[in-house]
Amino acid sequence: MSLSNTKNWCAVSRFLSVVAVSLLLAASAHAAAPGIKGTSFSLNAGAAYSSQPDGMAVYSWGYGCATGFSPTFAPAAIAGAFCPTVQFPGPTLIVTEGIPFTVTLTNSLPAAAGNTSILFPGASTVTFAGGMAGLLTQESTQTSAVTYTVTYSAPGTHEYYSGTQPDLQIEMGLFGAVVVLPSTVPTGCVALNNELGGGRVDFRLAPSAYDHPKSCYDREYLTQWSEMDPKIHKQVEDQLELIASCPAAGAQFSCPTALNVVTEPYHPNYFLINGRSMPDNMDANYAPNYPNQPYNGNPHMHPGELILVRYMGQGHWQHPFHEHGNHVRILGRDGNLLLSQTDATQLAGRMEFNTDTTPGQADEGIFYWSGKGLGWDIFAHTAANGATNPPCVPDANGYYTTASGATFPTYTAGVFTGGSPNYYEWCADHNHPLEANPIGQVGGGGPMTLPDPLIVTNGQWYNGTPYLGPDAVLRARGTAPLPPGSPLQNPPAESGIAFMWHSHNEREITTNDVFPGGMLQMMLVDPYVWNIDETL
Amino acid sequence: MRKPYKICLPILLVCLAALTASAQEQGGGSFRLQCPTATLLHPGGTSSANPTPASSEASYNGPVYRTVTKDPTGTYTFSPALTFLDNGGAIKCQQISGGDGMMTEADGNQTFMFAFGPLSGLNSIQNGQPGTQFPNVFNQPYCNGPTYVNNQPNPYWNGGCLSGTSPDGGVGNILPTAANPNPGADASAIMNTGVLNGNIPAPLIAFDEDDEFLLNLSNVGMIMRPDLFEQHTVHFHGYPNASSFYDGVPDATIAINIGGTFTYYYVAPDAGTYFWHCHITPPEHLQMGMVGQLFVRPRQNRVPAGNSLFQSLAGCAVPVGAPAGTIAHCPARGVPGVVGQQSDLRTMCDPATDILCSAPIPVVPTGTGATQPVGGAKYVYNDGDGSTRYDIDVPLQIHGFDPNFHFVGMTFNPEGFSDMKDKYFLLNGRSYPDTIGIPGYAGMSASVTNPDPATHSISTTDTDSISRRSQPLPSLITLSASGGPPNVCGQAVCGQRAALRIADLDVQEYQTLSSVGIPMLLVGFNAKILRDQAGNNLYVKTNSITLGGGESLDVILDSTGIAPGTYFLYTPQLDHLSNDAENFGGLMTEVVVIP
Repeated sequence: MSLSNTKNWCAVSRFLSVVAVSLLLAASAHAAAPGIKGTSFSLNAGAAYSSQPDGMAVYSWGYGCATGFSPTFAPAAIAGAFCPTVQFPGPTLIVTEGIPFTVTLTNSLPAAAGNTSILFPGASTVTFAGGMAGLLTQESTQTSAVTYTVTYSAPGTHEYYSGTQPDLQIEMGLFGAVVVLPSTVPTGCVALNNELGGGRVDFRLAPSAYDHPKSCYDREYLTQWSEMDPKIHKQVEDQLELIASCPAAGAQFSCPTALNVVTEPYHPNYFLINGRSMPDNMDANYAPNYPNQPYNGNPHMHPGELILVRYMGQGHWQHPFHEHGNHVRILGRDGNLLLSQTDATQLAGRMEFNTDTTPGQADEGIFYWSGKGLGWDIFAHTAANGATNPPCVPDANGYYTTASGATFPTYTAGVFTGGSPNYYEWCADHNHPLEANPIGQVGGGGPMTLPDPLIVTNGQWYNGTPYLGPDAVLRARGTAPLPPGSPLQNPPAESGIAFMWHSHNEREITTNDVFPGGMLQMMLVDPYVWNIDETL
Repeated sequence: MRKPYKICLPILLVCLAALTASAQEQGGGSFRLQCPTATLLHPGGTSSANPTPASSEASYNGPVYRTVTKDPTGTYTFSPALTFLDNGGAIKCQQISGGDGMMTEADGNQTFMFAFGPLSGLNSIQNGQPGTQFPNVFNQPYCNGPTYVNNQPNPYWNGGCLSGTSPDGGVGNILPTAANPNPGADASAIMNTGVLNGNIPAPLIAFDEDDEFLLNLSNVGMIMRPDLFEQHTVHFHGYPNASSFYDGVPDATIAINIGGTFTYYYVAPDAGTYFWHCHITPPEHLQMGMVGQLFVRPRQNRVPAGNSLFQSLAGCAVPVGAPAGTIAHCPARGVPGVVGQQSDLRTMCDPATDILCSAPIPVVPTGTGATQPVGGAKYVYNDGDGSTRYDIDVPLQIHGFDPNFHFVGMTFNPEGFSDMKDKYFLLNGRSYPDTIGIPGYAGMSASVTNPDPATHSISTTDTDSISRRSQPLPSLITLSASGGPPNVCGQAVCGQRAALRIADLDVQEYQTLSSVGIPMLLVGFNAKILRDQAGNNLYVKTNSITLGGGESLDVILDSTGIAPGTYFLYTPQLDHLSNDAENFGGLMTEVVVIP
C-alpha cells in the first residue's frame, strides 16, 4: 500500500477539466432510486477512497457487497449496475414490509479499526447470530461475521449505519439506506408493470410509498446528505500507516496498536449528496469514474408527475434542503405516514420549500411541478399564431390531459412518437403572452419586455427562452445556437427548465473552498416530448 | 485601510460616469424601467374586478369571468379571444440596485457588503415600510430634495419637487413632455443613487395575492470591487410552480450584467412569508448581504368588512359571466351557493385532487352568516376562520456576518468558504441594541442622529465620505394590550397581535429565536398555513422556533392579557448573543407591551 496519505491527485487545472468532463456526462444522466433487492444480503465493511471533484481521494470506510455475493439490482431497468465490496454510501437495501430479511456482515476493515456493526433504527425486530456482543448491537469481528435478521412491520424509508464507535465509523462512511416497500397496491395507484404509460419505462420501486392512496407516485429519487471532515480521515489513514509500519523491535517508542482519532472540533469541508459532491453527483448512476460511489442525484420530471423524494441525514449536521420550483408535501417520517387526527384518508404532513435533513432521520415527500398560476403560457402559444396552436381543454383540475381530450404521449424505443406536445398544460394561461412584442413566431401583447441578449450572461442549463419544450423554443428563438461558452446541459431537443435543489446553508454548496460544489444538484422539468431515461 | 479607496473611488466614478454617459447617448442605455399601468390581467375599467389597478386594490367578491380580444395598447388582436378569471389584484412595481455598500455593526465596525439597495420607494424604505408601489407612484421620477444622495443635483427640484415627481418614484424615470412622451431611463440618476446604496436587509417587498409584480433589477456594479464583473439576480425564494426564467438561478436562466436592468415578472403566488436573495455564487453573495424580506398578503384581506371569511374561502359557485355549461367543482365543505375562492381552479384547494394546494377549507366554524368570523382585518393566510388575524406586520430577517469574510471581500482577494464563521448575528441587519435603534429609548440620547430620529434608519459613511442609509429596519415591537379590535378574543378588551414574518438567510448554521414572556403561536411554515388536509389547524404554541438557512415561518404574538412591560425575543444559542468581541448583543430585540 502506498505511503501517501489522503491523495491530492491534481491541481486546479485538473479540477477544472474534471468539472468539464463531469458536466458533459451530466447532460444525459438521470437518477431514480437504485439499490439491491431481496431477502438475503451479504455485505462487507472495508476501506476505499472517496473521489472528490477537487481532485482529492479521501480515505474512507464503507459497506459494500461481500465477495461472491451476487445481488439482485433494482430497478431492473437500470443496466450496468454493480455493487463493489466498498461503496459510499452503502448499498441501498430494498425490502418489503413484514417480510424478514438477513444481512450478513463481514468485517474487512483494517485490524486496528476493531469491530463494526449495523444498526437498523425503525425495524420492528432485529435478531442476530455470530459475531460478538457490542454496546449497541452485535458486532462483526475480524474473524467472525455477524448475521442480522431484520423485519420492518411498516413501509417507509430508513437508514442503516454502524453501531460501533459511530462518531468515527459513520464519519468514515459506514452508512446506507433501507427502502421498505408496501405489500399492497393502494387504490388509484398505477401498478408496477415496467411501463408507466405511453411506453415509458418504469423506474419506480413500487406504486406507492405507503399502503395509502395518497402516497402514489410516478417517479422517485433518494438522497442521502452527509459531510466529511478530511482531517479525521487523514488521521485514520496516518495512524493505520504507522501501526502497519511500526518496527516490531528496536523502536525508540512503543508502537501503537489501536486508533486514537480526535473527532472534535468538527470542521467538514466536503458536503455530499449520495456520497458525491456536485458536479459528480449529476453523472450517471454506476458511472465508471466513481468505482466506489455508484449513486447519483440528478432528478428529472415531466409536468404534473408526482415525484417521491426520499431524503435522510447521514452525517453530523442538519442541512436545509431547498427545493426550487415548488413545495414538497411531507408524507412520512422514519416510516410513519403522517395522517390527519380526524380523517385517516387525509395527509397531515407539512408543505415545505426547505426540508431539513437531520442526522438519523429519514423522510419522504411528494413533489410536482405544473406551472399552475404563472400567468403566461410557458409553451409560448399565443393567439397571434392561433391557427397552428394545439388546443388546451381543461380537465376537472384545469390541466390538458386525457380526461379532457389530450392524447397521452407515446414513446417508441425511448423516442417521443406522438401525443399532445402540451400534455399537462395549465389551460387557464393558454395563449396568454408573456412578451409585449412579438418574437419569432410568438405573438405579443403581454406585459414584459425581455432584456437585450447582449447584456446578460447565459447559464449552462438555460434553454435560451423563458419557455418549455423544443417546439416553444424553436418558435421563440429559432435554431441559432446560444453564444459559445455555454456547454449545453439542456440540449435543444430537451429544452427543459432547470431548478436548483441544494443546501441553503450555502457554505455547504462548496467543495473545500471551491464554488460550485458540495450539496447541489440541478432538477429539470422536461417536456413530455423528451423521454426521461434514468438508465443514462 | 480606507485611504486607497478614497483615492480610487473618484477615478472609478469617473470611469463609470463615462460608461453611463456613452450609454445615454444611445437613449438611456441598458437601464430600463418597466411598470405598465394596464395589462391583460389588469386592464382596468368597469369590466375588471379592479377598475383602477394602477392606483389601488379593490374588494374581493370572488372571480369574474372576462374575455379579451385586444391588448391594452390596442396593438394586437387575439383570435380566439383570451379568457380570464379575474380575482382583482393590482399592478405593483419596484426597482432595486445590485451593487455594494457599507453597514454599521452594533459595535461600531463598518462592514463592506455586496448588497441590493432601493431605487424606488426610497421614502417608504427609509421609514421601514415596503418599497413596493402602484404604477401611479412608481412611474413618477424620484425627487426628495435638491440633490441625489451623492450630492449631484436632482433636475426635478426647483425650490421644491416638480409636480409629477415623488419621493417614492422610480429612480431613473424621466418626466415625460409633450415632445418626448416616452423618454426612457435616466442612467445618471440610477448611478447617482444606486452606487454604494446597499441596504441590509435588502429592500422590503410586499404585495397582494392576484397582483402582478414587476421587479426592476439594475446592476450598478460594485465600485469597491472594480476587479469584479459580477452579475446579480433575484431568486424569489419559495415561489410555487416557478418558472425557471424568473427563478434567478444563473445556471438555469440569464443574469444581468453591469449597466443593465432585468425586470422580473411574477403573478403573486399564494399568500405567505417568503424572502428573496441573489443567487450568484450564493455562499458569497448571501454572506455578503444580498438578502431581503418579501411577503404576500392574502386576498382574504380584501373581503369586505362584515362578510363571512368562511364563505368567501369555501364558496364554489360558478363565476359570474362564465360560459354556459361551466360546472362548479366543490371540494368537501365547499359552499355551492357562493362565488368564492373555490370557484377558480387557480385559487381553490381540494386535497382530493391536489396534494400541494395551499389553504384547505377549514373545519366549518361555528355559527352561520354574520356570526361566523367576518372580514375587515389583516390576516397572514386565507384561513377562512379568522385564526391568523393580526394587527402589526413585523418582518424579521435572521442573518449572520463573518467579519473576516467581509474584510477579505473588500480587498481584491478571493474569500475562503471552509473557514466561514459568523461573528455578528443580525435581526433585520442589526444586532442588539441597534435592533431597537430608537433615539430616546433604552438610554440613548433623544438628540442622536444615527439612527435618524424621524425614520429610525441607521446610516453609514461610505468611502466617498457620504453617509447613506444602510439599515432602515428596526425590530422593536410595540403592542397595546388593549388596542386590538374588541370581542375577537373571547372578551371585550383584546390586545394587539403582531405577525412575526421570520426568515433565516444565514448561510452557515441553524438559528433559534426564543420569546420570553409572550407565547408564540406558529401558524405558518414555508409560506403555507399549518393545516392538515382535513381542515384542522395544526398551529403550534411554543416559546421558540428554529430555522435553517432558507426557511421562513409565521408567528403571532398576542398581547391580550399580557402585563405591560418589556419582553425579549432573543436566541438561546448563547454564542449568538455577541457582537464579535462584545460579549453581549447579537440576535435579540425587545417587545414592549403598553396598556
